[in-house]
Amino acid sequence: MYRYDEFDHAFVEARVNQFSDQVARRLSGEISEDAFKPLRLMNGVYLQLHAYMLRVAIPYGTLNGRQMRKLAHIARTYDRGYGHFTTRQNIQYNWPALSDMPAILKELAEVEMHAIQTSGNCIRNVTADHFAGAAADEVADPRPYAEILRQWSSVHPEFSFLPRKFKIAVTGSERDRAAIQVHDIGLQLKKDEQGRLGFAVWIGGGQGRTPILAKKIRDFLPEADLLSYTTAIMRVYNLHGRRDNKYKARIKILVHETGVEQLSAEIEAEWAHLKDGELKLPDADIAAINAYFAPPALGPRAEGWGELAAWKKSDPGFAEWVGRNVAPHRHPDYAMVTISLKPIGGIPGDASADQMDAVARLAEEFGHDEIRITHEQNLVLPHVALADLEPLYRALLTDGLATANAGLITDIIACPGLDYCALANARSIPVAQEISNRFGDPKRQAEIGELKIKISGCINACGHHHVGHIGILGVEKKGAELYQISLGGSGDENASIGQITGRGFEPGEITDAIETIVDTYLANRTGAEESFIECYRRIGADPFKAALYSSEAEAA
Amino acid sequence: MTVIWTQNGIVENDPWTSQATEAGAPKLLPLAEALDHAQDNAPFGVVLQPADDVRALAPILERVAIVALTFPAFSDGRGFSQAMLLRERLGYKGELRAIGTVLLDQVPLMLRTGFDSFEVHHAPTIERLVERRLPGIDLHYQPSADRTDTTTGYSWRRTAILNG
Repeated sequence: MYRYDEFDHAFVEARVNQFSDQVARRLSGEISEDAFKPLRLMNGVYLQLHAYMLRVAIPYGTLNGRQMRKLAHIARTYDRGYGHFTTRQNIQYNWPALSDMPAILKELAEVEMHAIQTSGNCIRNVTADHFAGAAADEVADPRPYAEILRQWSSVHPEFSFLPRKFKIAVTGSERDRAAIQVHDIGLQLKKDEQGRLGFAVWIGGGQGRTPILAKKIRDFLPEADLLSYTTAIMRVYNLHGRRDNKYKARIKILVHETGVEQLSAEIEAEWAHLKDGELKLPDADIAAINAYFAPPALGPRAEGWGELAAWKKSDPGFAEWVGRNVAPHRHPDYAMVTISLKPIGGIPGDASADQMDAVARLAEEFGHDEIRITHEQNLVLPHVALADLEPLYRALLTDGLATANAGLITDIIACPGLDYCALANARSIPVAQEISNRFGDPKRQAEIGELKIKISGCINACGHHHVGHIGILGVEKKGAELYQISLGGSGDENASIGQITGRGFEPGEITDAIETIVDTYLANRTGAEESFIECYRRIGADPFKAALYSSEAEAA
Repeated sequence: MTVIWTQNGIVENDPWTSQATEAGAPKLLPLAEALDHAQDNAPFGVVLQPADDVRALAPILERVAIVALTFPAFSDGRGFSQAMLLRERLGYKGELRAIGTVLLDQVPLMLRTGFDSFEVHHAPTIERLVERRLPGIDLHYQPSADRTDTTTGYSWRRTAILNG
């Protein structure tokens, strides 16, 4: 993984000092709250419902044991002993004091971490496929390009006061595990006919109150042109994106209102001036960044094949966990392990300091010291030998980290909701917990199969409800919480926006409604091999609506 | 209080101050008027709003004594891209001034994108500028319009040339 050089260290130290100075000027009244707000946001500091919140960047979701241990230490020392992993591969602390922020940032800097641009109207933490560098289907590792973008976008003088936040995601394979079509810029690494590396470029995807899928504006952009082309997109957006209404300020609205042909023509015209300038990436620099992401030396561990079969036979719980949470690695003797942060009835994405320490230790012992954060709010150890799966499982079990539900109905994404967030209209976490408890029986979950439920507590859609197979949106109606359901959303390479079923459900009804939907699916599927989303795409929304609202139709 | 600040300090008797009322003082003209005045012999400056296309100035830029770009609010960053286009695309070498809401934390970014003079009203900002205590970072992860050195590291990195 990437290691800071002297330049990076000096930069982050300077950024901590800069932010400390900004905090001091705010406290002395030299900066008004209005002017301070964008400054603190650009360093990840939010003012939430009960306290300040700090969002720490985990660039492209990759970190090592030492860094995870530091996150545990911060949770223990400055917070209430836990942290919350987010859908953008970051971690949030919900209870730090503003006066502790400089100290926290200094501690983060010690392990090459920061909170730069985790919020605010600037280019945010760049995200990538959590299986990068390990997945068998990968064209190339997306993380070196995410790292180049991270560096280039840090304290960018031209693009620090954009119309709105700006999110970039990079994926390295056809199979999209980074949800690139719901990002402001989505990049898909690919090769052209000559075998040269480059990107398909998508722009204008996003969720929020106006969910729109991204449009492809370039089928192949050579890798050397990554920064010049991104600059062209950013410049056109910075000059022309709407600033009169924050809900219409994302690039998706500019794409929609200008038209993708005209806007991409403007981008291409701008790029024509930039492409042969100083932003053109030399091969040597791309190679040097790539070298940091060289895969760990994975020696042969063929003994794992036989052992794995024997362990699975003797322990059904282990077999179930392997079946759900372990995916094939490009090296046949190894596997990619998902550590679920969705215990039955738990808070999605939360991890205690002790759990973080445990994951750090296990990554060092069994995982070549690499940890990933997924946009589905789980953790991944990407390089585990099959021969180490059983001891890893035992250890995870003792720390409450062996829930075998990756991709199942209880692997729910939820935003913090009204329990924490100043923007929320409704609670998300208790809804997730109740659904998780209702469907917690392992047999029942397995029977239902792959089903992604995503819950947002307001229209800003941090819980990605628009791309949930089942999406739940909390709204406020006449002072009470109400939950709208949408069906058929998807955030992968076959991306789609879910459609609202009809009237919303009260907090006491929502779990029953989900059960009705699940039962309708089970009654209509051609067999266990037809997943919920496939079934929905075949039969459409009507059978589900009929089941949800039939009693009303009869009453009327 | 309003001052004009450059890297050389506060400018006394700046002729372009937007508050200037003296008869015969040279004028900052809006874009449309500036294009009309291009045939005149008297020196003139241009003041642009964020929605103006700076590229419209290309035919008359040789005759312009100063360009002022307006920042209507701290959060409005269009002027940074306008400045980049003026310096990098149009090759403008004259004075480039930031006016409107100009606060301390924008100034390092404005210097990087090619501004070299600043009309400032905010007293704490003026104080820090006079003391030359700018809150910028001297290490840059990207080239821009300012005078910087390439580093021995990656092609995109730059370091500030101090006291440039």
